[in-house]
Amino acid sequence: MIDLNKELHKHSAFKSFRPGQEEVLLNLFAGQNTLAVLPTGGGKTLLYQLYGAITHQRVLIVSPLISLMQDQVGRLQYLGSKRVVAITSAMDFKERTAILRNLSHYQYIYVSPEMLVNQSVFPFVAQQNIGLFVIDEAHCITEWGPDFRPDYLRLGAVRKQLGNPLTLMMTATATQPTRTDILQRMGFSVGEARQVVMPTNRRNIFLSAKVCANQKEKNDQLESLVSHLDGSGIIYFSSKSQAEQIAAMLTQKTHKRVMAYHGGMDNQQRFRIQQQFMNDDIDIVCATSAFGMGIDKENVRFVIHYHLPNNIQSYVQEIGRCGRDQQPSLAILLYEPNDQYLQLGLIENTIPEEQLLSYLYQHPNELEKNDAFRVIKYYYDTGKSFEEAVSIFDQAKKHRIQELEAIIAYIYTTGCRRKLLLQHFDEVVNNENSEFCCDFHSDFWGHWREFNDHYLKGVKQVKRQRSTDWHQILNNLFLLKN
Amino acid sequence: MKLSTLYLLCGDPDQFRRAKAIKNVLIGRRTVSNLYWGLEYDLLSYFGVLRNFSLGDEQATIDALVRAKMVIVDEGLLYKLTPEGQDKKQELSNSLGATKELTTVVKYDIVRFSRRFIFAAQVISEYSYANSQYYPQTIGFFDDQLIKRWFIQNKERQLPQYFHDLLENFLTSLNSDLLANIFVQSLSGHKFSGETEEQIATETGLDPTIVQLQWLKLYAKLFLQLHDDRLTPLKLLLSDLERPVMSKSAQQTFDLFISQNKFNPAKIAQVRGIKLTTVLEHLLEAAIIQPRGQFPFDRLLTSSLKTKLRDNQSKVDGEWQFQDAKAHIPELQFFQFRLFQILERKLGQND
Repeated sequence: MIDLNKELHKHSAFKSFRPGQEEVLLNLFAGQNTLAVLPTGGGKTLLYQLYGAITHQRVLIVSPLISLMQDQVGRLQYLGSKRVVAITSAMDFKERTAILRNLSHYQYIYVSPEMLVNQSVFPFVAQQNIGLFVIDEAHCITEWGPDFRPDYLRLGAVRKQLGNPLTLMMTATATQPTRTDILQRMGFSVGEARQVVMPTNRRNIFLSAKVCANQKEKNDQLESLVSHLDGSGIIYFSSKSQAEQIAAMLTQKTHKRVMAYHGGMDNQQRFRIQQQFMNDDIDIVCATSAFGMGIDKENVRFVIHYHLPNNIQSYVQEIGRCGRDQQPSLAILLYEPNDQYLQLGLIENTIPEEQLLSYLYQHPNELEKNDAFRVIKYYYDTGKSFEEAVSIFDQAKKHRIQELEAIIAYIYTTGCRRKLLLQHFDEVVNNENSEFCCDFHSDFWGHWREFNDHYLKGVKQVKRQRSTDWHQILNNLFLLKN
Repeated sequence: MKLSTLYLLCGDPDQFRRAKAIKNVLIGRRTVSNLYWGLEYDLLSYFGVLRNFSLGDEQATIDALVRAKMVIVDEGLLYKLTPEGQDKKQELSNSLGATKELTTVVKYDIVRFSRRFIFAAQVISEYSYANSQYYPQTIGFFDDQLIKRWFIQNKERQLPQYFHDLLENFLTSLNSDLLANIFVQSLSGHKFSGETEEQIATETGLDPTIVQLQWLKLYAKLFLQLHDDRLTPLKLLLSDLERPVMSKSAQQTFDLFISQNKFNPAKIAQVRGIKLTTVLEHLLEAAIIQPRGQFPFDRLLTSSLKTKLRDNQSKVDGEWQFQDAKAHIPELQFFQFRLFQILERKLGQND
C-alpha cells in the first residue's frame, strides 16, 4: 500500500492534500479510470505529476491551449520535473520532428487534441508506453460548450488505439449532464470510470454584481474599485483591444500598476507580465480569459469581469483564480445593458451561418483551407447531412443564448447569488455564512470600502521595493560567493 | 513594434517614399523590387533588420500619420514627411542615436541571440542562489536544448561571477545610465522579472519602439564583443546565428556569372536549369547587394545604352518609370533599365 502523504512530501512542497486529491490518486493506484471535478486551485496538476513521480511511468496530457501548455510545462519544471515537453502547432516542422524522434526521453508529454490525432504525430505517440492518459479541461469534450473542439471527440478512439491506458479526465466545473457526456464520449460505460466530484462552492469568495447605466458609468465604477481595493486583482475582458485600453486608462488614473495580458502578445512579454504578477511587481492584470489557466498565484484578492463570461461554468472557473490561499476574496461582475450585444456578436461570430454552411457543403474542398471550419468539417466527415448540420448549429446557438441569459439572470437576481450559481451544479448551499456570501445578504455596494478594509486589507501582501539602479540590479541578479 | 515610429524614422521631407516597400525592406521580404527600393532610400543596410517582429498594417499606419499631420501622401501609399513629421523624426533619431549596430542585426540573428542570453542569465541567476524551483523561459525546443547543453558543459566555470563581470563592464562601457538601465530591464532572474518596453517607455518618456530598437542595438554590441572574445564561456550561445547576405540561389547564379568562364545569363539559365528571367532577377539582386566594384555592370550594359539612358533620365528622385524610358529607347528591356538605375544610384553613393 502506498503511503500517499509520504510521497507528497517527498515529491512536492505541499504539506497536505487538498480535498479530492487523495481520493483521485487512490483511484488511479487501484487502476480505476477517473473523472475528477476539482475546483480551480484544487491542484489538478499535482495529480498526474505525483502519479508520474511515484510510478516513473509516462504521462500523456491532452490540453486545449498552446499558452496553457506552455504555462503547464513551466509549472511542471518549476515543481521539479525536467523531462517535460509540449507538442504544439506553434512549432515548426524541424522542431516537431526532433521532438517526435526523441519522444521516449520525455516523461510528461503535453499535446493538443488536434496534434494528437494528426497522422504525422500519432504513430510516434502510439509507440510510447503510456502509463497515464490525462484529459485536461475535459469539459471541452461537450458539444454545446463555447470551447467545443471536435478533435476532443476523437479521444475515445485514440484511447483505444493506445491500448486503453489508465485514464484521468479533469475539469474544474461540470454539471451532471456534462459529466455523463464526457464519460460517454470517452467510451466509458456506466460504472467503468469513477467520479470524484468536489463542491464547486468557494466559501472564501464573496459574490457581487452591478448593473451600470452605460459604459462611462462602468468605467468610473471600475476606476473607483481599482483605486481602493487592496491586493492583487485580475480584470477579465472579452476583447484584447479593450483590455489594453482599460489597462492604459487605469494606469493613468489610479496609483496602481496595471498591465494588459492577452494571447496576441509574444512569449517574452507574456512571460515577463506573468512573472511580475507572480512577484507582486504589478497589482492588476487586464486579461482575456486565457490568463491564469496555468498560473498558480495564491494571493489574488479579487476578480472583476468587465465583460460577460461565456457562461456560468466559465464564470465559476474564472473567479476561482482569486483566493487560492483560502483567504477572503471578492468576485465582481460589472454589466451595462450593451454588454449583452457584444456577447451576442461573439456567439454569432463563432457559429456559422446557414449560407456559409450551404456553400461549404457544396464545396467541401474549402473545408481544408481554413482552421475556422474545423467544426463544420467534423460534421461533414462524420456523415451529417446539410440539414442535420444546420439543426446542430441552430441548437448550439440556442444553447449559447440560453447560457448568456443565465448569466444575465445571475446579474439581475434578487436572491442569493451563491444559491443561484450552485444550482447549476446541483449543489445546495448549506449553512452559508450570510455575512460573507454575496451582495444579496449585505449592502455590499453601499459599503464596499468597509468590506475592503475588513476583509481584503487584513491579508498581508509583501510589496517589494523595486530597484531602478542597474548596478544594484546586477548585484542582486547574480549572488557572488565573495 | 510600432510601424508609425519606423515610418517616421525612414521617411524623408523631400522624397515621396513607398510605405509598403519600406515595411518589406525592414522585415526582409526578398524581392528585387524591395531590394531596389532599399537601395534607393539608403535603407539597404537595414534589409531584414526587423524580420522577427510583426509591424502592423501599412495603410492604417499611414492614415494615422496623416491625421496627426506628420506626413502627406500620394497615390499608391507614397508618403513624405511634413515639417512636423521631420521634427518628430529628428526627436526619434536623437533618442535612438547612431544606427551602425543595427547593421549587425542584418548579418546575425540578434533577436535569437538575445533570447538565448536572457534565458542563460535567468538560469545562472537562479543557480547562483541555488534555487531550482522557478519558472524557466521557453525559447523554442532547439534553443532550450542548447541552453541546457551549454549549462551542463560550463557550470563549473564560475558563471555567476562571469555574468556579473561581463555585464558590469559592458554596461559601464556604454557611458549611459539610461542605456544600462534599459538593458538590465531586458533580463529576468532571481526575484527579478525585468520590464516590458511599454513599462520602460512610461518611465523614461521614450517611444516603446525606440526602447525595442535600443535593445537590438545593445544586444548587437554585446554579440560583437563576445564574438571577438575567443575565451568566452558563451561561445555556444553565438552559434548558428549568421544570416546570408544574398539568397543561396542568387549567390550560385552570381558565382557562375563572375567565374572564369564568364557565362552570360542565357548560358547560366541552361547550366542551372532555371528560367532566364530568374537568372536576371538573381543578377539584379547581386548588383544591388555587392559593392559596385565587384559587380561587372559593363558586361550587361553597353556604353551606348548607358549614354542614351543618361540623356533621358528623369530628374525626379526615385520615380523614373520604365515606360517613359522605353518611349525614347524602344529596344530597352526592363532588366537593363533597372540595372542602370542601380548603377546610377551606386555611382551617386560613391561607395
